[in-house]
Amino acid sequence: MPEALESRLLPRHVHAETRDPATGEVTLTLHDAEVVLDPAAHAAWCALVQSLSAAGAPHGAAVPPPQAVDAFRAAGLLVDAGTLPRELDGAHFHAAYFQPLLQAWLAKAFSHSFWARMMEGRGSARLYAGWLFELYHYTRNANRHMPLAAAHCRNKPVKALLAQHYEEEWSHYHFFSRAARAMGFAAEEVTRSQPLPMTAEMADFMRQAARTDVLCYAACSAVLEGTTTDGSAYTPFYERMQSLYGVPEGAVKPIYDHLALDAQYQHADLFAEICRHEGTLTAERASRVLDFGHQMVEHIWLWTDEIERWYGDPARPMPRMPFDPRLD
Amino acid sequence: MNPTSLLSDIRLKRGAALVMNDGEACVQHLGQEILLDHAGSRVLRKLSPYLDKGHDSATLAAYTGETVAAVEALARALEHTGVMTLHDTRAAPADGGMSGLEFHAYHRRYAQHWLQPVYAHPFWAKVVEGRATRAQVLGFAFEKYHYIEAAHEHMGVAAANARPELMPHLARHFIEEYRHGDIYRRGLQSLFDDAAILAAPPLPTTRALVNFLSETAAVDSFGYYAANEVLQMTENSDGGDDDGAVDAFYAGMRRHYPESAKLIEAFVIHTKLDQNLGHDGVFEQMCRDMPRLAAAEVASVMNRARGVVERLLAFMDGIDRWYEAFPQVPRRPYALGAG
Repeated sequence: MPEALESRLLPRHVHAETRDPATGEVTLTLHDAEVVLDPAAHAAWCALVQSLSAAGAPHGAAVPPPQAVDAFRAAGLLVDAGTLPRELDGAHFHAAYFQPLLQAWLAKAFSHSFWARMMEGRGSARLYAGWLFELYHYTRNANRHMPLAAAHCRNKPVKALLAQHYEEEWSHYHFFSRAARAMGFAAEEVTRSQPLPMTAEMADFMRQAARTDVLCYAACSAVLEGTTTDGSAYTPFYERMQSLYGVPEGAVKPIYDHLALDAQYQHADLFAEICRHEGTLTAERASRVLDFGHQMVEHIWLWTDEIERWYGDPARPMPRMPFDPRLD
Repeated sequence: MNPTSLLSDIRLKRGAALVMNDGEACVQHLGQEILLDHAGSRVLRKLSPYLDKGHDSATLAAYTGETVAAVEALARALEHTGVMTLHDTRAAPADGGMSGLEFHAYHRRYAQHWLQPVYAHPFWAKVVEGRATRAQVLGFAFEKYHYIEAAHEHMGVAAANARPELMPHLARHFIEEYRHGDIYRRGLQSLFDDAAILAAPPLPTTRALVNFLSETAAVDSFGYYAANEVLQMTENSDGGDDDGAVDAFYAGMRRHYPESAKLIEAFVIHTKLDQNLGHDGVFEQMCRDMPRLAAAEVASVMNRARGVVERLLAFMDGIDRWYEAFPQVPRRPYALGAG
């Protein structure tokens, strides 16, 4: 590791990089700022990040001089780990470390080209229906992780919150079943259909989080709930689906009903409340919680990717039926 | 059902494809090709629009203008080859079950077919031809490490939840495999700091494969091993690699990505180790020891086998797609203050 970094300087997560073709300047997007680097500084930054994970001497990567490291720190690209708390209050963790990241995380989750494709008229009613099928499974699979989280929780007030959340959510898959049926699918086709691997993994990952730490679970849940709170983001989407692809009203109305119900329950605020009840967190625990939340963001991106590629291919069966020795 | 029909619920198998060539019909299913003579081709061509609805023979005859006898003769012949399914109203109902050894052959036949898209995945050619990015190649090594290291998870869960008669197999399997992640880790250590390797989170698509195995292991020992056997088939040279594709892959990797030499060494060591452990015959032995499987169990286990192939494909897609869009390797976990 470079000598200049022995004080444990942490590189911050860069959410996006864009290069100006005219100047070669690269804009690094952090969750709270943008940093513009000229080509030489960007090369130095890449070398620095690479050197931090390299075995022994960095492989062909020139370590930036101390003044460059200082410049990166001043620009907010590096954080001195020594200045971070060793432990912190749950409410402070939520307000100061989780909540400020959430919008940038959601932007990353929805940065997949699928959304632009659908909004710009390059999608199809089939893609919309496929997305509905997967949302049906994703919502139905809440029954695989929400009660598990309550079962593994040992903190009474938190356990009660999780149980109540489950009580309010467990049957919401009916909204998506109704919407899929409005697209022309029989109720039995919806019920018997099989989720895509990444749809199933969304629930499996939540189960993994539930067995790991209730805060890891709640952070993932907060990311997922965060995707349903901004009406200004989702309303135009559903309007476009109707106007571009002839999606019937009946395949959209249940979604609005579901979103309205979620908003009424204020599920997006649940994580803050759970954090308050969990008291003091070690830095290690807080980091683990953030990492689970961020992995859920990455799950959403790859889930979207799979939905687009499966249902975007007209040769793929829809709905996806289970293997049947007689029929297959 | 029409009273003149002896056969009902006539369907071409869902995975079967009908190819017409100069009036000659060919049905492709599970890698086999059934060629029909001129007369059979003519009837099948007329039947083809109706073979996914489960009609009886009289209805099909009425739709196509063929005789019931001609429809039934063709349907029986195609059912015999395995590309068609039907119900014979005079036959005793089949229970759909099979012996363990019959299941072994059945599973192998489908698994080999299902694995073809994995062998044909575009990622392999990208590496062989040098079109893969550095991040994709190193990302592949990392995800392979995560997957092999996760033997600790799914094999541990499998052993701890094993059906009594399968416990010795699953215990031995865990004990033989749990160190194998370190082989890949040593390969990665040639390029990366050990702490960075251990801290790197797997891709969600890799977790999907591991979580699927762990969840299956917790509830269905035999289904777990049947899924694991599919993965094992990809590690052995007879699993679709008769043309030396694995060697070509490593050669391409060496040529285009010279810094990956130690990674390749790790891959090869692990493949040889797995082959020397003689895992090839374990599933067959397990099947031999199984009591007769009921139809529902066959369906359930085959769904797990198909499920693991889908996740293996997602594993490959994830490497290909994610590391192309987000080329940072190794991936870093989120840490307090580094957001």
